[in-house]
Amino acid sequence: MDKTAELLPGTLDMLILKAVSLKSLHGYGVLQRIRQISGNALEIPQGSLYPALYRLEHQGLITAEWGQSENNRRAKYYTLTAAGRRHLRDETASWNRLASAIAAAMNTTSEEV
Amino acid sequence: MFKRIHSLFRALARRRDFEDGMSEELRFHIEQSIDDLVRSGMSREKAIRQTRMELGSVTNVKGDCREAFGLHLFDEFRRELSYAARLLRKTPGFTATALLTLAVCFGANLTIFAVIDSVLLRPLPFPAPDRLMTIFNTYPKAGVYRDGSSLTNYYERRGRIAALASLSIYSYGTEIVGEPGSTERLQTVRVSPDFFFTLGLGPAIGRTFTDEETTSETDHVAILSDAFWRQRYSADPNVLGKQIRVNSVPRTVIGVLPPSFLFLSTDARVFLPLASRMEDRAPSRRHSGGNVIQMIARLQPDATLAQAQSEIDAQNAALEVDDPQAKMIADAGFRSLVVPLRADHVAAVRPTLLLLEAGVLVLLLIGAVNLVNLLLIRASGRVKELAVRQALGAGWRYLVSEVVVETTLLTFAGGLLGLAVGAGGIQLLRGLDVDRLPLGSRIAFDVRLALDGLAGAIVMGIVFAVPVAWYQLRRHPGNALQSESRGSTSGHSAQILRHSFIVAQIALAFILLAGAGLLGLSLQRVMAISPGFQSDHVLTGQVLLPWADYPEAGRLKFMQSLTDKLNHLPGVLSAGVVTNVPFSGNIGKSAATIAGHVRRPGESARGHYSYGVDGDYFHAMVFSLRAGRFLTADDSRRSARVCVVDEDFARYYWPHANAIGQLLWDGSEAGKDAEAFTIVGVVGGVKQAGLTENEAQGAIYYPYAFRIGDSVFVAVRTSLPPESFALTMQKVVRQIDPDVPVSDIRSMDTRIADSLVARRSPALLAGFFSGIALLLTSIGTYGVLSYAVTQRRREIGVRMALGAQSGQIRIQFLALSLRLLTAGTVLGLIGAWQTGRAMRSLLFQVPPLDVAVLAAAAGVTAAVCLAACLLPTQRAAQISPMEVLTGE
Repeated sequence: MDKTAELLPGTLDMLILKAVSLKSLHGYGVLQRIRQISGNALEIPQGSLYPALYRLEHQGLITAEWGQSENNRRAKYYTLTAAGRRHLRDETASWNRLASAIAAAMNTTSEEV
Repeated sequence: MFKRIHSLFRALARRRDFEDGMSEELRFHIEQSIDDLVRSGMSREKAIRQTRMELGSVTNVKGDCREAFGLHLFDEFRRELSYAARLLRKTPGFTATALLTLAVCFGANLTIFAVIDSVLLRPLPFPAPDRLMTIFNTYPKAGVYRDGSSLTNYYERRGRIAALASLSIYSYGTEIVGEPGSTERLQTVRVSPDFFFTLGLGPAIGRTFTDEETTSETDHVAILSDAFWRQRYSADPNVLGKQIRVNSVPRTVIGVLPPSFLFLSTDARVFLPLASRMEDRAPSRRHSGGNVIQMIARLQPDATLAQAQSEIDAQNAALEVDDPQAKMIADAGFRSLVVPLRADHVAAVRPTLLLLEAGVLVLLLIGAVNLVNLLLIRASGRVKELAVRQALGAGWRYLVSEVVVETTLLTFAGGLLGLAVGAGGIQLLRGLDVDRLPLGSRIAFDVRLALDGLAGAIVMGIVFAVPVAWYQLRRHPGNALQSESRGSTSGHSAQILRHSFIVAQIALAFILLAGAGLLGLSLQRVMAISPGFQSDHVLTGQVLLPWADYPEAGRLKFMQSLTDKLNHLPGVLSAGVVTNVPFSGNIGKSAATIAGHVRRPGESARGHYSYGVDGDYFHAMVFSLRAGRFLTADDSRRSARVCVVDEDFARYYWPHANAIGQLLWDGSEAGKDAEAFTIVGVVGGVKQAGLTENEAQGAIYYPYAFRIGDSVFVAVRTSLPPESFALTMQKVVRQIDPDVPVSDIRSMDTRIADSLVARRSPALLAGFFSGIALLLTSIGTYGVLSYAVTQRRREIGVRMALGAQSGQIRIQFLALSLRLLTAGTVLGLIGAWQTGRAMRSLLFQVPPLDVAVLAAAAGVTAAVCLAACLLPTQRAAQISPMEVLTGE
């Protein structure tokens, strides 16, 4: 965790959706999963994590349900809904377009102009 | 969108679960995070600190989570609500006054609006009700403004008026329904086959009448109302085909109407075909309407009323060409008018209802002004507090929303109380016979009305907030802090506003009071009119004899034995029968032809009230005899054709000669000599339609034998209170025939009182409204003056310390009240003048600007306002300078 990047605005929602798309997770699990899948390279603002989860639940992109955690504690598990899956697909596609466009732009050398 | 609202409401409904879940989730997160950090080798203390740092403030996170659901708005609202409620609880006197004012004003408005809504606003319960018309004949120059329609009109117009999609006729009646031994008298409507088609609403089960069922041989069918079907047949689905006896004749039930079927104001239980003979449909019977049969029509979807009217006019003109009486009919100003059905039905009560609505709105206005004034006074008491809060950074948006929440809470609570008052008010109106208004049976306190009321209350709360918020925000916090700390007088403009509100209140209360006075005086003037007979100690009741059981001879015998029996009862001074008693509600007139009377050019046939009398009717009613003699019971048994006319009749036809001995024929044509009636007496005129009837149309009284009708009224003069005789009257009739009921039993005094209900109820209501208005005005005046005294305590104290007498202080405040009172009264006078002009049509022999009424109104207003000023003035005069100067 010595070299971490700041999250771009608006990307936290996308990362949360991605995290819960793999498996139902509780809030702390979402945090760990994002760290894990990003190879610990992202700085997650934890204060924004829960409001983001609530916002996504309110928008109907994820649903919440109480369940048992690995160490037998009651925990709230978030699951991706059908609408959330669609949303994630669109977001992923547009992110990829943006990322590759920016990457292409940034990799331009003087000969290519 | 819908999903989000749903999720918000779920969160709101399970708010506790939401909060608990959120806390538990965050606790879980923190514990997991600490555990993980400890496991990775960190000390527990450090782990806790790190977790806290990463997550940030739990309270903030929770707030953000709530915001994600939109819950924060509700939390804020709830906070403001509880703050407002706390403030209102702190000033119980103000809150109680405000709530009471609102409850009374909203209640009164809801009550009157319920009536307006039912009578004037809600459409008739038929499809496209605004296309329904009524058509009636009028002969204005003969003094007959409304004569219904004739069978001939119907058969001549049916299918021939292109602008009308459908045309039908109906006739109200009452019939004896049921098996012998269990009969009851019911309201019925006889209708033409297309009646239900015209209305657009037919039987729920069964069928409507057919054209084949319009003769007296084939009309043995009936359609029942839903209420009658449920009550008499327990909603039997197999009722079709069953027999029902109507006037002793069995009829087959062929249909049952839906529960929603309500034709105008009738409470008819049974619908029968309007049967007629071919000769009654002949052209010679075209003008025989007599208000018995009414016509309704439905306009074509693309036609206008004017088109229908011009087509009817054209047809009338074409038909009258070969009418032998064409000249007379034309001279009478004959026309058949097409009028919207609903407007026509409620035309008589519309001005009164609008007047009451205006009155009750004025009441609401007074209440509103009163409340705004009280709110302003209250707000000025909090100027300092608000200034401090503004200085500490409270935004204007926050302060405004606080005011709105407070006033709306107040008006909403007042609105809820107003619902209760309104529900009670509607019950009270029932006591004033509001049900008898046209369409009055629909008046009810329902959910829609309640929701309208509450919506109105909320709107009012927001409106109230405007001046209060303006008052609070307009002053600079710094100024407010300074001026209040010195305890000086309040802002000049606020004072002017308060005072002009008081002036407006006084003026409005004065207008209401003057209007109520005009109505009351009119009522008094009407009640002073003599009906032309002695109304006390006379009991009357209607007896309907079925033609099947009582043909002509049977009717005569029935009348004879009835009057004989009644006249021999102890306590009966005299008894008689008449085909139509005064104030019965039936005002049909008919024509008579006078031997030797040559019509002057432009003079048309006149409609006269025509009665058949038997027994000792004239003595029972105590008519005054001007010349000749009364008719007696014997006149009905003799074959001599005699009659009695009233003085108006005699004066019209023989202004300079004696009417006794003159000859006339019943009907619009001279008959054979042997059929002429000889006038044997002239009696005083009698009011038939109502006390205010002022057209002396003349009346003819024939012996019952020569003018037999469907029903008669029995009139009995008793030595005891007439109501106590009701049971005896029913018993006597039942002795002659147990299946003949007596209905509409009322004393003559009651009939007259009932005929005045359209004047008495509005006068009573207007009086009631102005009473409340005065009360509100006195509260308002008291409030403002008390406030003025409190505001100026210091000034008064200083002046008294410098030698001012308490009398001077008293005069100062009395002068202020007098100034307000004078301004209010002057404005009120102008308003009362306009109001009087607007309500001229409702007044009777009272000018719109009646000096006595205005003087009385001014006196009462002045007395009430000055009484309200007395207490604060007294308090001002008793201020002790020592207390004031040392107190602060």
